[in-house]
Amino acid sequence: MRRRLLPGWAGLVLLFVFAAALSLALGPGGLAGTNSSAVMNLRLLRLALGIVAGGVLAVVGASLQGLLQNPLADPFTLGVASGAALGASLTVVLGRVSGAFAPVGGFAGALVTMLLVYALARVRGRVTVTALVLVGVIMSFLFSSLVMLVMILGRRTLGEAVYMMMGHLGTVFTGTTAWLFGAAALLAVIGCGWLFSLSRSLDIMSSGEEAAETLGVDTQRVTRTVFVLSSALVGMTVSFTGAISFIGLVVPHLVRMLFGPAHRRVIPGSFLAGAGILLLSDVLARNIVPGGLPLSIVTALVGVPFFIYLLRSRL
Amino acid sequence: MRLTRFVLTIAAVMVAGCQKQPAANPGLRVVSLVPSVTEIIYAVGAGKALVGNTNQCDFPEAAKCVYKVGDFMSPDLERIVALRPGLVLLTLPVHRQLLDKLTEMRIAVYVSRPADIKAVFHEIDTLSRLLGRKASGESLVADLQRRLDSVPVSSDTPRVYVEISGTPLMTAGGGTFINELLSRAGGRNVFASSVQEYPVVDPEAVLEADPEVILLLHPDMSASDVAGRVGWGNISAVRQRRVYDRMDEDLLFRPGPRIVDGVVLLASFLHPGH
Amino acid sequence: MNERDKGMAIELSSLSFGYGERLLFEGFNLDVAAGEFLGVIGPNGAGKSTLLKLMAGLLKPGQGSVRIHERELRTIGRTELARTVGVVLQENPFAFDYTVADVVMMGRNPYLGRFARPGRQDRQIAASALEFVDALFLSDERINAISAGERQRVVLARALAQEPKILLLDEATSHLDIAHQQMIARILVELNRQGRTIVLLSHDLNLAALYCSRILLLDKGRAAACDVPERVVTAELIRSVYGLEPIVTRHPETGRPQVMLPVATGSRG
Repeated sequence: MRRRLLPGWAGLVLLFVFAAALSLALGPGGLAGTNSSAVMNLRLLRLALGIVAGGVLAVVGASLQGLLQNPLADPFTLGVASGAALGASLTVVLGRVSGAFAPVGGFAGALVTMLLVYALARVRGRVTVTALVLVGVIMSFLFSSLVMLVMILGRRTLGEAVYMMMGHLGTVFTGTTAWLFGAAALLAVIGCGWLFSLSRSLDIMSSGEEAAETLGVDTQRVTRTVFVLSSALVGMTVSFTGAISFIGLVVPHLVRMLFGPAHRRVIPGSFLAGAGILLLSDVLARNIVPGGLPLSIVTALVGVPFFIYLLRSRL
Repeated sequence: MRLTRFVLTIAAVMVAGCQKQPAANPGLRVVSLVPSVTEIIYAVGAGKALVGNTNQCDFPEAAKCVYKVGDFMSPDLERIVALRPGLVLLTLPVHRQLLDKLTEMRIAVYVSRPADIKAVFHEIDTLSRLLGRKASGESLVADLQRRLDSVPVSSDTPRVYVEISGTPLMTAGGGTFINELLSRAGGRNVFASSVQEYPVVDPEAVLEADPEVILLLHPDMSASDVAGRVGWGNISAVRQRRVYDRMDEDLLFRPGPRIVDGVVLLASFLHPGH
Repeated sequence: MNERDKGMAIELSSLSFGYGERLLFEGFNLDVAAGEFLGVIGPNGAGKSTLLKLMAGLLKPGQGSVRIHERELRTIGRTELARTVGVVLQENPFAFDYTVADVVMMGRNPYLGRFARPGRQDRQIAASALEFVDALFLSDERINAISAGERQRVVLARALAQEPKILLLDEATSHLDIAHQQMIARILVELNRQGRTIVLLSHDLNLAALYCSRILLLDKGRAAACDVPERVVTAELIRSVYGLEPIVTRHPETGRPQVMLPVATGSRG
């Protein structure tokens, strides 16, 4: 069994390294850009952003799919991404502070959404995953609409709103936001590690909440922990990059096809695969069209054929 | 709804102690849904014909007193119709649906969509004739043209990066108004070759282009923020402290009579000392 | 062995519970002695599943208490409870394709610390649980790729891997063919013989009557009867609870009561 998994891990690591190398080598400046330290700084930051965003989104997607017992769940199911987008856009539009503080507003928006969703989903002191999903989805719709409203009222071009909803890795960093991001990246790694430690509980919970209870899993605690971690992680990511879709939904499935559904393999595998695929998509998005395509378009275009290939090779 | 109207009317009347002026052309009642067109109307002296405009029509001062039919992005059809307008001035694609409805109701409509400065002058001309102020229109255009021509042509055309938005970085492409204003002012838009109107750009691309002047056309960030961006320290514009912020965007984005003021403003940034 | 010496496995005292306004159970009492094989039968909506969930701690009673091995359920830690009581629910949806071996290993969860991986002993216990239900050959199969009967056995094996002293089963045989029903029955009898307390909810009166030491006939949250099968599976009681006129016979091998239905005439009597 273990020997069969090795090619899978090797493949993912290769993908990751390849994508990272491409990301550093290619850009509007081309290979020549590697000579300039300013350009390399930009590219390194972009690389770090891509790794964190891709890894986090995939890990959160995998965890939520397990917790919610639903292969169609993704990081945005629980409404947090929309809340983050709303927080960020409100900060930019209303705030007298510099727009560089959008990430802080985004994170705040994510936290508020998380508390709201959790509070609304609580019935008689208990939170079932069904309730979470229902409330989360509704909130998602609500906040997405509010983002559009804020953008319109704030006289932003709708193009900006589109980019925020479709994701990008082109965030400009000032000294302050670079440090903010550093802190966020560290927290992100810790958060993913925490989710990894819940692997067995997630395995069991994916087979039914009640059954999990009878097997000794503290479903309320696990639900709360995964929910809070997911919200915080997604909030952090979205506030820097906007909502990048597809990664959180499909990458975990790709990894499951390689390693089976056990979370102790799916979670780390998803981090690697998510980072790699996102970086690859970003390289494509930046270099194919001069202005750069919205990232979510490319992640879908890159991910789907890959997914279909894997799917068919297993049938 | 009624209370809002009431409050708005009172507020409008109280502002600048203005009063409604009697209609110059008693037959023609005009509603303007476009701030730049509102400016044109007043610039050719036809302000008395204006019976309604939008919340965003804020220049000149008198425009603020006029009855508001709603937001530029979503004016209220009911209010427009209630004014019994003889002519409604709007733009596309924003007012697409409104245009269809007004046409259905057989209300005369004029679509304003000037693509460049020449078209703006043409529009001033057309509108002034529609409003019976042909002479004013002609002299206004002549005056503007003269001022435009007197913008000094310099031998050097600095590379300019125009930033429309900071998150993500968005600039203006070649087909935009701002682009034309820039070239008239004696500058070169580094992203003029972009096909998209307002493309999102990679920060690295800005570094590559190494602009000598940076114009921030959004209130999110200040010049010092831009200078503080990672990797941007070596851009010519940053090094020479030629990053300009907090300018009156209306001068640059409204295709109306103040467009030439916009050119003059840009020229002052691009060639200080002239 | 005198059952009374072993004490009570499950005690429900003055239990009250309801969904929403209406109370389903009011002042309900039930004692299940250790080593008993209790069958719970009754019409749909009688509260069988609810009763099981109350016993398992999945539902909290509004009033009254539940005791497991003479300790208040509330005071028993989650992990300890999972090592004592194994539950097989009616629906077992598996959202992802774990292998049978993976699924049974989940039963070892109460014995594994947060970061511990299953050891050799855990693997042995899981394997013997699978062997016990005659499903060891399915170890590497995907849980969603096997038949309903095989799945039922695997879920049972998972509960057995918990090494529970009490086993609660909600409809262990409803989707199974008669061969598999027989197999499950055999397994349950053997488990009971080993000393485990078994509570089996069943729609199948005959199965319950044939194997259980006592039967609880539940009717709208009320115990219509709780006694040996001969005294519960009677024409009068069945008529009063189900509204049917059954034909009660004796099983030729053990003399346990068995129920046959009269022929339906097709006209509304």
